[in-house]
Amino acid sequence: MILAANEPFIFALFEYSFLRYALLTVIIMGFITPLIGSFVVIRRLSFIADTLSHFSLAGLSIGLFLINILGFTFISDPLYLAMIFSVIGALFIEILRGYYQNYKEISMPIVMSLGTALSALFISLSGGFNSSIYNYLFGSILTVGNKYLSVMAITTIITVFLLLIFYKEMVIISFDETYAKLIGIKVGRFQFISTIILALVVSLSLATVGVLLVASLMIIPVAAAMKVGKSFKNTIGISILFSELSVIGGLWLSYELDVASGATIVLINILILVLVVVFKNLFVSKRLKNTQSDIMTK
Amino acid sequence: MRVAVTNLTFGYDYRTVLKDVSFKLNSGDFLAIVGNNGSGKSTLIKCILGLNKVPQKRIFLDDVDITEFKNFRSIGYVPQKFDDFNYEFPITVNEILQVSRYNNISEDEKLELLDKIGILELQNENINELSGGELQRVFIVRSLMNNPKLLILDEPTVGVDKTNVEGFYKTVNELNKEGITIMLITHNINESKANFTHLLSIHNGEAVMKEITRGDDE
Repeated sequence: MILAANEPFIFALFEYSFLRYALLTVIIMGFITPLIGSFVVIRRLSFIADTLSHFSLAGLSIGLFLINILGFTFISDPLYLAMIFSVIGALFIEILRGYYQNYKEISMPIVMSLGTALSALFISLSGGFNSSIYNYLFGSILTVGNKYLSVMAITTIITVFLLLIFYKEMVIISFDETYAKLIGIKVGRFQFISTIILALVVSLSLATVGVLLVASLMIIPVAAAMKVGKSFKNTIGISILFSELSVIGGLWLSYELDVASGATIVLINILILVLVVVFKNLFVSKRLKNTQSDIMTK
Repeated sequence: MRVAVTNLTFGYDYRTVLKDVSFKLNSGDFLAIVGNNGSGKSTLIKCILGLNKVPQKRIFLDDVDITEFKNFRSIGYVPQKFDDFNYEFPITVNEILQVSRYNNISEDEKLELLDKIGILELQNENINELSGGELQRVFIVRSLMNNPKLLILDEPTVGVDKTNVEGFYKTVNELNKEGITIMLITHNINESKANFTHLLSIHNGEAVMKEITRGDDE
């Protein structure tokens, strides 16, 4: 990472603008990823985030190849190509899902392998691994700037806006596609738009946690919240809370220990998941025990 | 709602499921559909719901060809199984009913429906904590929420206990009296205690329609 931690995170925040950008970015990301992730989990499409992140990597590699080897400096940031590729990957998935009606999941490994193969090809052509590829694989939030923050903020505002307008439709489609079709919701259209949004958020998450860990940012907080949520909205709220804890905590640890932010964020996420599962099991077995002893005393 | 099916032949890939099926229902008719497993009952229902695509001039709902019919929200439907429903994610009964509500039934009417079907006390429960029978009743309420003009029920009370089955048919009979057309797939037309007006027997995809004089069914 670019800076060794000589002063505590909180003081460094006041001093360095890049750190404030990073903090704001992860706060936005911590909000939007589990929000979208919840709908992905309900529709049993958890693998889609992984597929799209691998396809984004192809965009990144091609971007780095064009900039570094061919000298296309007008492409200011390979991240834009990652976004475009993520959307293209999403379109491929939707086309293949339509083609293999009864084996829809086939689309994922096909698109994922295409993305990975293209990445391997262009990384090799660019002279193999270097630090920018490493940063995109494992995340390096401290290197992102305010331009990235504004793209993230705009995507989040659009997503939340769409979700507020089409909340009913999105919930019905996610839980019960047949019923959605029945009451005349244009299911295909909604799926298409939500996949595009997912693709954008996936590509934007690359800088924070990296290609290999993007999916975890969307899925793990939701997986933990599902175990304790009392209702749909409550579960989404809890998943956002877990997610914020992990991204803010992860950013702090990443700065203090000078390690990849993807690693710290995801490890905190996993820690929360483990704690939730352990406490839930303890709680359930204690309740059953109490009920049993109540019956015995009667 | 008036339903007319004329010379409908339908199948999947290599298998013909419905063979030249024709029948007509007027508003307020109550049809029982009987037949063995695999006879084509559910396929017929899916055709009428627009989930199976049929050619033009085969099915008419209120005299509109189903290929041009738009108002599917006026059809209530309770499927036989909820395999399509992703019920492991937390969502309460109230939340699922809230998003399924399109016609403006009041909060009081909604509570009345929940009470009639016997799940008033379950409204804040998570769907993933309900039993199969309770879940079934949630979907029965959902099918009734949008003031349906046609109600299609595919063995809706399998797994629901007797008291609630009675409550359900009482509600269905009341709705039918208000002029709602009802189509009910059932294995046992006596058990359902419903006031059928017509009986459609399907055997190997061929259907025979019979009129029933009200009161004969019990």
